[in-house]
Amino acid sequence: MDAYFFIILAVGLVSTAICLIAGILRKAPNDATILSVAAVEVALVVYLVGSVVRVIAGEPIAGEAWEFWGYLATAMLLPPAAIYWAILERTRWSNFVLAAVGVTALVMAARMNQIWY
Amino acid sequence: MEEEHNVNDDQRPAVGKTPDGDHHGTPAGNSSEAPGNPDVPARNTRNTGPGRLLIAVYAVFALSATARAGYQILTKFSEAPLAYLLSAFAAVVYVVATVSLAKAGSTWFKVSVAAVLVELVGVLVVGALSVFDSVQFPHETVWSLFGRGYAFIPLLLPILGLAWLYRRRPVRATAAP
Repeated sequence: MDAYFFIILAVGLVSTAICLIAGILRKAPNDATILSVAAVEVALVVYLVGSVVRVIAGEPIAGEAWEFWGYLATAMLLPPAAIYWAILERTRWSNFVLAAVGVTALVMAARMNQIWY
Repeated sequence: MEEEHNVNDDQRPAVGKTPDGDHHGTPAGNSSEAPGNPDVPARNTRNTGPGRLLIAVYAVFALSATARAGYQILTKFSEAPLAYLLSAFAAVVYVVATVSLAKAGSTWFKVSVAAVLVELVGVLVVGALSVFDSVQFPHETVWSLFGRGYAFIPLLLPILGLAWLYRRRPVRATAAP
């Protein structure tokens, strides 16, 4: 597990916690929950940029390269999709949808780490 | 709760592109359905409130199961054909469940019930087989070991799905589209 994983682990868990609490408190998606999910996207962009730099620098990916990039690309689609979905229906339930992004992203980041090393 | 759904139902056409855009044409065109009972359109959808979370989780599973089955079949199909065909079947079931839950109307409701029931049977049968016959089922489908590799969510999902479908079952008298 490298630093990129731990960044996504931290950001993902914080985002999931914020969204879960907001959902439990019956709040509609607000700046805090939407921005926390946006932060997950930023963490994934950091992972993307870092990985591109490492590949250009000549570091090999141990597993299937396309599988790694597939995971990363899919993970990066999740926050925008969840935010879009949450804005369409602004009820407490959308906060639970947003909460799912953080944990999903960190599971995918863990898998990406396994593929890389 | 019901009021909340209705408000959201009214907001949706303004927002535009939604999966059940076609559904909104029905109450408008068919005057016998909408005016008397504003609950009817809300009753015949599964994509509001908790349903949105359910659909989101189903969508994630549809995506990951499809990707996984595609990968297995393209790269190492001959190693365990039965398990990988089951993977592909599971992926199809998740895709059908996701789409049908997002759609309005009683036909899609029936499709949802069928998909979720198949999913429940699948996870129970494949889960049991993977425990007793680990040679034919080398623990590589979403449903193996009752979905242990996915935090048992595959086992929980169909149960929650059926509960949700039951709560949002179409009302008999007004449900015919």
